[in-house]
Amino acid sequence: MTAYITSVGAALPERIVTNAELGPLLGVSPEWIESSSGIKQRRWAGAETSASDLGARAVADTIRTSGEGTERIDYLIGCTMSPDYQVPGVAPLVQSKVAGIGAIPALDIRTACCGLLYSLQLARGLVNSGAAGSVVCFGTEAQSKGLPLDHAHAEISMLFGDGAAALLVQPQRAPAGISLRIDDVAVFTDGAFALDLVVRAPGSGNGAAWLGAEQLEAGMHLPWMNGKSVILHAVRKLYDAAAEILARNGLSVNDIDVVIPHQANGNLLMLLAKRMELASDRMVVNLDRLGNTGSASAFIALWEAKMEGRLKPGARVLFLAFGAGFTWGAALATVVA
Amino acid sequence: MLPQGVIAFLDRAATEGRTSLPDRDCSLFLSGILDSFTLVEFVTVLEKECGIRVEDADLRPENFDTISKVEDYVRRTREQ
Repeated sequence: MTAYITSVGAALPERIVTNAELGPLLGVSPEWIESSSGIKQRRWAGAETSASDLGARAVADTIRTSGEGTERIDYLIGCTMSPDYQVPGVAPLVQSKVAGIGAIPALDIRTACCGLLYSLQLARGLVNSGAAGSVVCFGTEAQSKGLPLDHAHAEISMLFGDGAAALLVQPQRAPAGISLRIDDVAVFTDGAFALDLVVRAPGSGNGAAWLGAEQLEAGMHLPWMNGKSVILHAVRKLYDAAAEILARNGLSVNDIDVVIPHQANGNLLMLLAKRMELASDRMVVNLDRLGNTGSASAFIALWEAKMEGRLKPGARVLFLAFGAGFTWGAALATVVA
Repeated sequence: MLPQGVIAFLDRAATEGRTSLPDRDCSLFLSGILDSFTLVEFVTVLEKECGIRVEDADLRPENFDTISKVEDYVRRTREQ
């Protein structure tokens, strides 16, 4: 059996936060932010907008674009690192906010910036098994709300932006327009490095209390990253994942027309492109305008690639992502009309 | 002793960072020679010049923090 991405949609917050605005808050120059990350600006959600609000808008946009009725959606998979609440997950909240979706399964998967790859693999399996016929996967982030705006956290707080996007997976191609046939998905995990990219609290791994004065004082509720470790692993593992999925499908990098990576850091993407010997114009990049939108970033990049007309019939698309866990992987798709 | 190709890479990185190679036990990170991105290239050079494979479990910045630690790591890896 085969599965297709038949529709995509997105929702971005209106507020643009430039490096000129953010730099002074972090005690760094706007130029340093851009040279360290490739990011010029990002979008941040307002105080009254949550991850589920953005996610619901993206899911509704995806369903509307597909031409399907919301009642046809029979599975919802959500990805976020900035959920509205610790419990329940973001997917049930999105389900409740999109009018017409029934009492379908709605679940979160916690694979950080690899959300697109893991959800794609699950959606393809659900469709191929016959357990579901129209699966919506979405990534959404309102992670600006968790960023410490001080010099000590400049390296991480300069990176992140908010936004959401979604895709629809079905067993047949869309009746009009383009679809992406999902050819292969390869995902991996190495939990030995789980604490190199982490938000520790609240959590049951923090002693007697999962969030107390001690944890707050230590900043355990804030994101923490061993940047050197993350970049070292990300470049190698993304390269290896790409090489593996290309090899097992009898392809080379020259056969790939469009690369849609997680938008981690501009310098990291340049290193990866160099190592892959990939022409940079084949890589979809939006982090200069949107920052690192976490689990939403590859979803948003896919949506932008479609809106910009970069997904031509016959084009081969390579998705790449790396995230906390560590999780990483690749997916291959072919654009069909 | 590290191969000349490895030292040459560090020398170039030091020049670009407008500094010079530090003592064997001084941090290459704190001295501004290696950062998150040059570390990626350094490990690639190390593997090529020393004929070793840095396993994923060993991809930890602390293994490459000083010239002494790099030499120790290369020696241990070759002994395995």
